[in-house]
Amino acid sequence: MTKPLYIHGSGCISIQPTFEEGYFFDSVNSYTQNPVPALDPDYKAFIPALQLRRMNKSMRMSLFAAKAAMQQAGVSHVHAVVTGSGLGCLQDSERFVQNLRAEEGQSLNPTPFIQSTHNMAAAALALSLGCKGYNMTYVNNANSFESALLDTMIYLSEHPSATLLLGGVDELGERTAKFWDLAGYLKKDGTAIPTPVSGQTTHGEVVAEGAAFFVVSATAGNDYWGTIRAVETRLHPADPAQWISDFLQRNGLTGKSIHAVMLGCNGDSRYDSIYWTISSALFPAIPQIGFKHILGDYDTVAAASVFLATSILRHQRIPAILRLNSAAVDPIQRILIYSHRRGLNHSLILVEK
Amino acid sequence: MSELTQELKARIISQLNLEDLTVEDLDDNTPLFGDGLGLDSIDALELIVMLDKSYGIKLSDPKEGRKVFETVQTMADFIEANRK
Amino acid sequence: MISTTPIAVTGMGAISAIGNNVAANFQSLVDSKPGIAPIQRLDTCHRGRLLAGEIPMSNAELYDRLGLSGETAYTRSTLLGLLAATEAVEHAGGLNDGCRIGLVSATTVGGMDATEQYYDDYLISGEHRHFIPTHPCGYAAEQIARHLGISDFVTTISTACSSAANAIMLGARMIRAGLLDRALVGGTDCLSRFTINGFQSLMIYSDSHCRPFDDHRNGLNLGEAAAYLLLEHPDVAGRCGRKPLAYLTGYGNANDAFHQTASSEDGEGAYLAMLQALNVAGLAPAEIDYVNAHGTATPNNDLAEGTALLRIFGSEYGLPPFSSTKAFTGHTLAAAGAIEAVFSVLSLRHQVIFPNLNFEQPIASLGIVPQTEPVNKIIKHVLSNSFGFGGNCSTLLFSKSDD
Repeated sequence: MTKPLYIHGSGCISIQPTFEEGYFFDSVNSYTQNPVPALDPDYKAFIPALQLRRMNKSMRMSLFAAKAAMQQAGVSHVHAVVTGSGLGCLQDSERFVQNLRAEEGQSLNPTPFIQSTHNMAAAALALSLGCKGYNMTYVNNANSFESALLDTMIYLSEHPSATLLLGGVDELGERTAKFWDLAGYLKKDGTAIPTPVSGQTTHGEVVAEGAAFFVVSATAGNDYWGTIRAVETRLHPADPAQWISDFLQRNGLTGKSIHAVMLGCNGDSRYDSIYWTISSALFPAIPQIGFKHILGDYDTVAAASVFLATSILRHQRIPAILRLNSAAVDPIQRILIYSHRRGLNHSLILVEK
Repeated sequence: MSELTQELKARIISQLNLEDLTVEDLDDNTPLFGDGLGLDSIDALELIVMLDKSYGIKLSDPKEGRKVFETVQTMADFIEANRK
Repeated sequence: MISTTPIAVTGMGAISAIGNNVAANFQSLVDSKPGIAPIQRLDTCHRGRLLAGEIPMSNAELYDRLGLSGETAYTRSTLLGLLAATEAVEHAGGLNDGCRIGLVSATTVGGMDATEQYYDDYLISGEHRHFIPTHPCGYAAEQIARHLGISDFVTTISTACSSAANAIMLGARMIRAGLLDRALVGGTDCLSRFTINGFQSLMIYSDSHCRPFDDHRNGLNLGEAAAYLLLEHPDVAGRCGRKPLAYLTGYGNANDAFHQTASSEDGEGAYLAMLQALNVAGLAPAEIDYVNAHGTATPNNDLAEGTALLRIFGSEYGLPPFSSTKAFTGHTLAAAGAIEAVFSVLSLRHQVIFPNLNFEQPIASLGIVPQTEPVNKIIKHVLSNSFGFGGNCSTLLFSKSDD
């Protein structure tokens, strides 16, 4: 089996200023557009111009978030890099498709083809850090980060003294967003962010992008922000409430052991009801926390949810904008994150102080 | 600097996304690869595409590019000799 | 820390340019019959000219073969994957008997074959919009999992040309970690304009039949394929009376950390991956009887891989017989690690080394000569290499089963 992993540093880029030192959601940016692009930090702080010039948004966000995490953790070297991305490098994929449709048979620029490869963010990290160790990229829709997390936990059970970079990243693509609109994924009415989630009656999600990276190891070391005790995913559990109870039991816990629950509700009335059913059945009296209503939805937003959870555990308070109910906040030792996307790829991540 | 080298520098900077560089910064004889500007094999492929699209010159073997792309001046000389 | 339980391979499925199932693939290998020919099916301006390992079945034929409704959107990669995965499961004797089962799939193309085709059409007409959800890499695994009733764990890996090798590795590691009893592992990639034009833009697509490890090699031919293996904990296989075809005893993944697409001259990533695989298996290089090389026939890969092989095995005299089978199937990208894992297991089952076609002269600076004819040999351990863009280098080590 796997043991808990310790988070020594983290970095997060999103549609909120999560990369700013000390930012903790006391104010949030509002948006009326859908999709919503992530805010750009000063990438040059961590990435030399000669490397940056060729990097797409996924690679920039990943490198920045990863280096911020390493800075916070006080490490300059890792043994392995494990990442997740639902859609990989979309913009370069789009660029290359457009080029080949217009000019197949003529000279085509190779850069967008190379950059479109799904593991380019992990590769960029390996190159930048000179890391020759294990390097993996998971691309399983909304379970991509969770798969990376599970692999990391397995890796640490095999290599107990290793330090790893673990992360999740997804970027928006202009044409792809149009396709999503046509497929009925996107919410079309009114204010996008913060997305009203309770009492929601309209379909669609607000899509965004972002990256969150963590420096992790199997030991507490000098300092850590939190631990991840367990992660599980199911494509389509027949009885989510039973699955969650069983998951808690597998980890020697009950519903009462959870001090706060983070829910992946995103305002899509077609799919959010399961969250309310689960909360009232299993976690009726504890704080319920949302994250997609202020970060938007994308396949690897779970990575940002971990970033949020560890911040909450560290500060021992829940910013008002994140709260979905008004249950009393007692000392929080344990947060369960439950999420899915469009009814599929359910995941549970258990985060502890 | 000649009109062609001027034009080439602008194209190189734009094609290879060398945002922080200006045409004035780029010397005709600075090595583009290795220790000079530090371009790599992907940049070489991009320059091959540029040669084809902007000057109608096709290089069929990437190894040919090594000599041609040594400096802006060698590129200009090659283009003068081979353009259609 | 790392368990040493040998992981049983109890089933395999494969479809490629040299056969629609495992047996047909094997026959082509021993008959030295490659599947590389001018593209016939894919709608590209290179059709009729550019060489590729194309599977001679249309999407409609694949739908029919699988008994699928034409109204549901299945991309070509998914269709190929369904065929190979179904074969593997049937071969093994089924999946669902109370065991914890996972699917670890791999792809790079994903649904790009549909996306590139309908890229403008989606905006204008509703006719093909049911294909929109098929674009992501994770889509194929979802469809395969549903089709086969796998629900405990599903994921997809995409690390360019090492993808399926990494999927196989994760399945084994999850079994060893006690998280799964069985894992269906492998990968699928169909031909697409995206990848064909992509490799052409890198100037590494050969205009003739590829020549792995030859001094005059000038690039790869692409191919399409899907292959899956069923891995089981040996105790689970034993309880169910399943005789292992072979064992996965070693694996390694390392990063070259040299360049986005090119391999380092000393083949460092490849060397580290092979070393790890040997260490995990607890074997010395001298115990390897055959290396199924990555051998794409690009100037860069074969030189780097050849160099790494010499570093591992000490000298050309220490090299076991090695061959690349990519002149048969083409480079099948994410599926390569899986189809070649199937070939490695076949090599162990039949005690045969498959030939490296189109070879005439060794790489001048290396002097290494691959096996050019099929030959019977005593084979106990096989190394299989798969190296991808982003410096992602993976090696699998398969060992003979005495069953």
